Amino acid sequence: MNTPGIASSPILWIASLGVFVVIVVQSFAYLRAARRAAPAVGMSRTELVGAFRTGAFSALGPSLAVVFIAISLLPVFGTPAVLLRIGLIGSAAFEVVSAQTAAGTLGVELGGSGYDNGVFALVFFTMSLGGAAWMLSTLLCTPMLRRADRRVRRMNPVVMTIVPSAAMIAAFCYLGLEKVQTSHIHLITYATGAAVMAGLRVAAARLTVQWIKEWSVGIAMAAALVAAGIAL
Amino acid sequence: MSSDPVVLFRRTTSRWGQGTMLAGLVISLAGPMYLMFGLGYWPGFAAVLQAWGALAAVFGVLWIVEPITYYPMLGPASTYQAFMIGNISNKLLPSAMAAQNAVGTEQGTAKAEITTVMAIIGAATVHLVSLLVFVGFLGSWVVSLIPASVQQVFDYVVPAILGPVFIQAVMAARQRRTVLIALLCGAAGSFVLVPLVPSTSVYAMAVCAIASVLLSVLLRDTAESAAENDKSEVSA
Repeated sequence: MNTPGIASSPILWIASLGVFVVIVVQSFAYLRAARRAAPAVGMSRTELVGAFRTGAFSALGPSLAVVFIAISLLPVFGTPAVLLRIGLIGSAAFEVVSAQTAAGTLGVELGGSGYDNGVFALVFFTMSLGGAAWMLSTLLCTPMLRRADRRVRRMNPVVMTIVPSAAMIAAFCYLGLEKVQTSHIHLITYATGAAVMAGLRVAAARLTVQWIKEWSVGIAMAAALVAAGIAL
Repeated sequence: MSSDPVVLFRRTTSRWGQGTMLAGLVISLAGPMYLMFGLGYWPGFAAVLQAWGALAAVFGVLWIVEPITYYPMLGPASTYQAFMIGNISNKLLPSAMAAQNAVGTEQGTAKAEITTVMAIIGAATVHLVSLLVFVGFLGSWVVSLIPASVQQVFDYVVPAILGPVFIQAVMAARQRRTVLIALLCGAAGSFVLVPLVPSTSVYAMAVCAIASVLLSVLLRDTAESAAENDKSEVSA
C-alpha cells in the first residue's frame, strides 16, 4: 500500500496537535467550571473525582478499540490525518465512508493505484468538511435547544427528567438489536455484557460498595470480550 | 448578572464550549486547505462538489439530527465536548451513564450535568493519552506486539459496551412507562423501519430516539408525574 507523501506534511502534524490542544483547553475550562458549581448542587470533591475516574475507566476499552482501528488505517491516511479524523472529532465508520466516497469520485480506490497526493488532498478535505458540518450544526443547534430546554423546564420540570431516559433507551435498544443480528458471536458478547452488568447492579445495591458502581461498565465489558474470545 | 453557581456554570461552559469548538473547526479545516491552496493540490470545483454532494446525500440528515438527538442525553455543556471528541454512543455516553450511576444522580438535574462533564473529561483524558502514545508515537509497532487472536476480540467491543449500557439505561429510568415506550420505539426501528426502508439505516437511531422522546412525553404517566411534582414542590 502506498501512503501519499503529503500525508505526513509537518503542517498536518501541527493541525492535528492543534486540535489536541483545543480539547485539553476545553477540558480544563470545563473542569474549573464544574469544580466551582459542584458545592451548589450538593456535589462533594469525592463525587467529582469519582465521576472523573468512572468516566476514564469506562472509556479504556472503547479507546483501545479506536487505537486498533486507527493504527490499521495509518498506511492509508498517514499519522496526522488518522489522529485528527479517526481519533478525534469523527469516528472510523463515518470517516472511512467519506474517504471512499471522495476517492470514488476520482475513480480511485483508497490505497490503490493512482492514490496520489492530489487524491489524498481531496479525500482529507472531504472528511474534514464532513466533520466541520457536524460541528457547525452543533454550534447552531445547541443554543436553540438550550432555549427550548429552559422553556420546557419552566412549564413542566418533570418532562425533562423523562426525556434523557426516553432518548437513551430507544437509541441503545436500536443499536443493540442491530449489532445482535450481525452474528452469533455479537449476540453472545452482547448478552454476556448485559448479564454481567445486571449482576453487578444487583450486587452493588445489596452490598452498597461504591467501587462496584464505578468499575461495573469496565468489568462487564471485559467479561463480554472474554466471552467473545471464547466463542471465536 | 446572576450569581447562581449553576447559571454561571452553564454560561461558562457554553461560552468555552462554543469558543473551543469554533477553534477546532477552523484548525481541522486548515490542514486540507493548506494542501489544496498552499501546495497546489486543488482538484477543481467539479470534483469537490461531487464528493461533497455524495457525502451530504449519506450524512446530510445526520448532520442536523445528531446534535438534536444527543442533546437530551448529554445536556448543553457536554454536547460541545462530545462533538469534538467523537465516538459518542460507544464511548462517551457509556462513560457518562456509568458516572451518573456511581455518583447516584437523577437524570435531568444540574448534578447530573456536572457529573457528565466530569465523566467526559475523564474519558477524554484516557482517549488523548492512548491516541498520542499508541498511535502518535508507537504506531504500528504496538500492533506487531499484540497477538492476532487478541486483536480479533476487539472487533466485538461495540456489542460488549452496548450490552452493559443498555441495562444501565433501563435501570436509570424514572418511569416504567418510558422504558416500555422506548423499547418499542427501538425495536420498531430495527424490525420495521430499516427492513421496510433500508436507506433509513444511517439515521434510524435518531428516528427511534426522537419518536421515543415525543411519545414518552405525550403519553407520560401523569399520576407518577404528579407525585414527582408534589415531592419537588414545583407546580406545573
